[in-house]
Amino acid sequence: MSLNVDRAGLAFTFKGGMLPMTVMELTSADPERIRDQLAGKLSQSPAFFQHTPVVLSVEKLDEPHLALERICAVCRAHKLLPVAVRGGPDPVKQSAWALGLGWFPPQEIKSRNLESVGSDTPASDEEDTPTSRQEEAPASSGGRIYRGTVRSGQQLTAPDGDLVVVGAVNAGAEVLAAGSVHVYGALRGRALAGIHGDHDAGIFCRELHAELLSVAGNYKRLEDVDPRLLGRSVQVRLSDDQLTMASLD
Amino acid sequence: MAKIIVVTSGKGGVGKTTSAAAIATGLALRGNKTIVIDFDVGLRNLDLVMGCERRVVYDLVNVIQGEAGLNQAMIRDKRVDNLFILPASQTRDKDALTSEGIERVLEELNKDFDYILCDSPAGIEQGAQLAMYYADAAVVVTNPEVSSVRDSDRILGLLASKTRRAERGEDPVKEHLLITRYNPARVDDGDMLNLEDIREILAIDLIGLIPESEAVLRASNQGIPVAHDQGSDAGQAYVDTVSRLLGEDVPLRFHEYQKKGLLSRMFGGGRR
Repeated sequence: MSLNVDRAGLAFTFKGGMLPMTVMELTSADPERIRDQLAGKLSQSPAFFQHTPVVLSVEKLDEPHLALERICAVCRAHKLLPVAVRGGPDPVKQSAWALGLGWFPPQEIKSRNLESVGSDTPASDEEDTPTSRQEEAPASSGGRIYRGTVRSGQQLTAPDGDLVVVGAVNAGAEVLAAGSVHVYGALRGRALAGIHGDHDAGIFCRELHAELLSVAGNYKRLEDVDPRLLGRSVQVRLSDDQLTMASLD
Repeated sequence: MAKIIVVTSGKGGVGKTTSAAAIATGLALRGNKTIVIDFDVGLRNLDLVMGCERRVVYDLVNVIQGEAGLNQAMIRDKRVDNLFILPASQTRDKDALTSEGIERVLEELNKDFDYILCDSPAGIEQGAQLAMYYADAAVVVTNPEVSSVRDSDRILGLLASKTRRAERGEDPVKEHLLITRYNPARVDDGDMLNLEDIREILAIDLIGLIPESEAVLRASNQGIPVAHDQGSDAGQAYVDTVSRLLGEDVPLRFHEYQKKGLLSRMFGGGRR
């Protein structure tokens, strides 16, 4: 109740969000060539060009100075709305800011940062993650397959994709994935899917007893879970920012 | 070549020292030259359970710090010839143990003994990690209650990552589950976790099941390892456990509630 009262007095609240965004990856810095190609695209799929926000990625370009203002003008003329620039050297960053655009670091560095943030969390104990004994193979999509029991105090992370555990996740253990978490066994510990904000991620398990379930930061504790689902085969996903659970049987 | 077995649990008071003493005694009674080492520096108990507390002169810390030789510190058991005890220090700090020192002691014992049992302190700190570090096998002592099971689970995680075998990528430490203080009647009543639940959560081989028994307390207080008390259920259960450790196939006993006779059911029953 008090929460609502407080909110009424606020002009806004900050919320984290992961919005779908078109990235326009430039392979040429020549505004004329960009204009020609855009003109062709516009005639092919006019529906796409309706003030669609785009991020201009200049990572593939090796030019210290870009005619950023002209490129933006070309985009706007074709009903694309540049909102930010990704990558590029310092002068590019400065001119993006001067044009009122945001600037994102290049993608490689960004994903590395996310990983290091993941392993720096206090709960993570590098040497305590199960390693040596169970078979583990890198899956094709950056996912991770783990065979065996994930035990209390252990933390297993798939920072780039899905995590598949062929075994149980015991109470006090934690499994995390950028994508979905699949547990072919009892899930008694904590499972966090979509840790970088993927709303489409889900959690799947053969036997639900989880201490905590979270998808893209929306979580439920064991006591919030419908008791009829306990011990059953369950999928957890996000719909309208609400964590929903359904039996898979 | 000695086989190094750590007796560990995470949680305190579940019966590590009792089990270490009983298993060491059982192994020695079966003709194996065995030594049991107390790693619980500062809270020395093994000597009491083994009934040799009055014969302690030097201890593990003295040996590691070079103040005494191994032969001076080892105590020969007065009941079984090929059983030895290496006591812990009661006065030293528990950080007195070093990894190099332990390795040196174990290497020296390796030549003469068949089995080296390491009685781990409770917890997951340095003492417990040193006790398990060089192990070939582990006996994880667990009581039929949730906190004990969870702590055992934690210890199993450490056994898989923080032992020499794990670090070197060798065959993993062989993990054995030993359930102690099991009371089938209370399990039936739902007061205790049942055997199958514990096995399912921990997912390792069951090496033995020791029933809750007055014989255990009596044995500890008298300083006679319970494996000597073969008239008791707990004593027999430890003998079975040792047989399984030696690779024999022994059926499980004492895990089912013995139904009361007709008369006690008629007059004293009323259960449930």
